[in-house]
Amino acid sequence: MLMCRDLAEIASDYIDGELNGRQNLSVKMHLMMCKDCRTFIGNLRASSNLLSAHSSGKADEEFLRRIDQRVAEALEDRKSGNANNE
Amino acid sequence: MNTAVQPESEASLIEDLKRGDSTAYRRAVREYSPGMLAVARFYLDHSSAEEIVQDCWVTVIDAVQKFEGRSGLKTWLHRIVANRCKNRLRTAKREVATDFSETLEPELANRFNSTGRWDLPPKLQFHDSADTLMENGALSDCLDKHLSALPETQRSALMLYEAHQHKSDDVCNILDVSASNLRVLLHRARQKIFLMVETFQETGEC
Repeated sequence: MLMCRDLAEIASDYIDGELNGRQNLSVKMHLMMCKDCRTFIGNLRASSNLLSAHSSGKADEEFLRRIDQRVAEALEDRKSGNANNE
Repeated sequence: MNTAVQPESEASLIEDLKRGDSTAYRRAVREYSPGMLAVARFYLDHSSAEEIVQDCWVTVIDAVQKFEGRSGLKTWLHRIVANRCKNRLRTAKREVATDFSETLEPELANRFNSTGRWDLPPKLQFHDSADTLMENGALSDCLDKHLSALPETQRSALMLYEAHQHKSDDVCNILDVSASNLRVLLHRARQKIFLMVETFQETGEC
């Protein structure tokens, strides 16, 4: 029988749908009976969502403009290099 | 939020980049740089990471000519950044490797009794949605602090998988880890974030 500790060990695999059918079923059965593990799984999933929300920020415009400038210079170099070779 | 470039428009973007179209570069820089910077930040400090990303874009101008689309553009760009960062780090520092045989964080493992049941179960439910939680500036700062304290390999795995929505295969490829080790890295990192949020919700302290 799956114990709480066993479930905690495979909790991320469950959240990500990486368990096989039999393992998935034992987790679901355990969760039906165990409130603590339902809370744990819910909180682990919330932590994962939190991280996605936290990290989807944009780079600042000043940094992007510096890249634009480097790229524009490099493109120009290649164009003039090609023109000299023709 | 899904701002990802769709496959058809990605194909046309790649063609435009191969032609050296500056408008296409401006679009690609805005679309992909945040993710590239995030990958670089797993390895390097902020200014070195920005420098690497800028250098990578210059490299891309030539390298994209040979890009055959075997992976998506985002994965390809992230791999270039990761390789460059790893090269820079190779001589600089080595970190203590994660013990892949332990799937539970010690702090969590200690919360079970000898029969495998919870001794100290999670007390609070994280009720708020992720977006609501992130409006809490102190929590956001705390998350930054804990993310930067994660071992490099755990942090990279977590961010590529969670924040940049890479598939497992891609993360394994970018970071050179096996699928089973990736599962351990992700789970260990998530547990640390879970423990951090729990402490924060219970005590208000980071």
